[in-house]
Amino acid sequence: MNNNLKTSVKKHIPKDWLCELRILFRLGIQTISDIKRTGLVNLVIITTMAAILTIFGACFRTALSISSFSKELGSALEISVYLKSSTDVREAQSEIAKFEHVVEITAIPKSVSWNKLKNEMKLPNIDNPLPDTLHVKVDDPENLESVFDNIKAIKSVEDMSYAKDLAAKIELVNHVVKTITFVVILIMGLLTVTIINNTVQLVIQSRKEEIEIMRLMGVNNWYIRFPFIMQGAFYGFMGSLLAVIPLNYVQNGLNNVHKFFMIPSPLYAQNLVILVMFTMSILFGAVGSYWCIKKHLQV
Amino acid sequence: MIRLKNVTKKYKNDHYALRNIDLEINSGEFVFVVGSSGAGKSTLMKLLYSEEKPSSGIVSIGGINIANIKNSKIPNLRRCMGIVFQDYKLLQNQTVFDNVAYVIRTLGISSKEINARVQGALKIVGLYEKMNATPAELSGGEQQRVGIARAIVNGPPLLIADEPTGNLDPQNSMEIMQILDQINQRGITVIVSTHDNNMVDYFRKRVIKLDHGEIVKDMQAGTYE
Repeated sequence: MNNNLKTSVKKHIPKDWLCELRILFRLGIQTISDIKRTGLVNLVIITTMAAILTIFGACFRTALSISSFSKELGSALEISVYLKSSTDVREAQSEIAKFEHVVEITAIPKSVSWNKLKNEMKLPNIDNPLPDTLHVKVDDPENLESVFDNIKAIKSVEDMSYAKDLAAKIELVNHVVKTITFVVILIMGLLTVTIINNTVQLVIQSRKEEIEIMRLMGVNNWYIRFPFIMQGAFYGFMGSLLAVIPLNYVQNGLNNVHKFFMIPSPLYAQNLVILVMFTMSILFGAVGSYWCIKKHLQV
Repeated sequence: MIRLKNVTKKYKNDHYALRNIDLEINSGEFVFVVGSSGAGKSTLMKLLYSEEKPSSGIVSIGGINIANIKNSKIPNLRRCMGIVFQDYKLLQNQTVFDNVAYVIRTLGISSKEINARVQGALKIVGLYEKMNATPAELSGGEQQRVGIARAIVNGPPLLIADEPTGNLDPQNSMEIMQILDQINQRGITVIVSTHDNNMVDYFRKRVIKLDHGEIVKDMQAGTYE
């Protein structure tokens, strides 16, 4: 009996990739059968998912556009650094270049500034009172302040200035957009998980007897669970597929806004939104199913 | 070999289903577990296929102690045995063939082998001709035969039947017992729980009698009383 049992155990372990392939095929069939069994409810779930995902996609896509707008405005912002009269401009330039977030430094010699001023205004013939100036650009408007503080500590700096209010407003818009996107993701996740959870619970109820038999006959736990997880992921995938249609309209609308303001639309945005939407919906769908299984499927 | 050593099963309401059970069943044996309702027969059966876990003691099957077996290992254990239930537990919306093939399909076995195994099992229980019928089209006895075919399709060394004739008339009960006897003659260990005294007396196999969770009789070629 001992040997028989061990032989039997070995006999049940799939031996080759063909076995694994057959198991995957059976799981696929089972998933399709579960989806069919859910009937018209599938349509309700998929359209609800699509509606949620459209809202998410539209928010995310708009956030990317607003972000590109604020970046574009932000890149126009720069810190003006006025150096002390005895300072070596190149030395100060290389010192500032070492700071994090600094992307570009343009040196304006005092002679250039003076000549420019003289051209614009009628000035008496006096010595040049202007300092050498450096225009410092940073990678992101929100980093302006920290770079400003770093430069301030340099001894050769006489005075500095930047459009603090404008930078603060741009930063606020960025912050609000990011927060809204995060909240939408959170709501989307919660709704998706709840919808999938309820649906899978219904499917589990309808297959209760079959699951009980499978369990008693020694069908692997993961084999019982996997079709439910696949079903959740399927709803996520189908919801995303349907949401792509309205999102194209959102994309076109935003492109027109970009054209109007003559700010280039981020090329990657639509692909990124679709990729994130598919990944998250499939993931949330599968996770929703998994939680439901954990709660309601005692195998 | 199956071995139970000092096995006690106590439920949460302090009810003892089994008390200090010591039992050995050898390979190839046919054993009747008898007793009145509530004697502990079903609990004993459930311990053997790990549907219940003992409160204390050792339950060993094939040298493996399954008393505290991990939940993830239970399917492996159950696939090494066939289980037959009083209420048949068949999928009503599937054919006889599909019911029998259901579990082995999940193992990644080829269709050719599945056909051969299922047809073989159905021939043993005499339902080869009805493989395309649904359970609703079969009598109670025939449904139980499907249950037996499903239990033996995987070639297990052990068959556990929990009240297999509980829902059947005497004639069908006799047929089911004869099939189980034939299966035993193929070398498979068969353990049957029943309270059908006529069957037990007719077949004259080893009889283990339970009363209030204790073994009160263990007799080779025994009778019910």
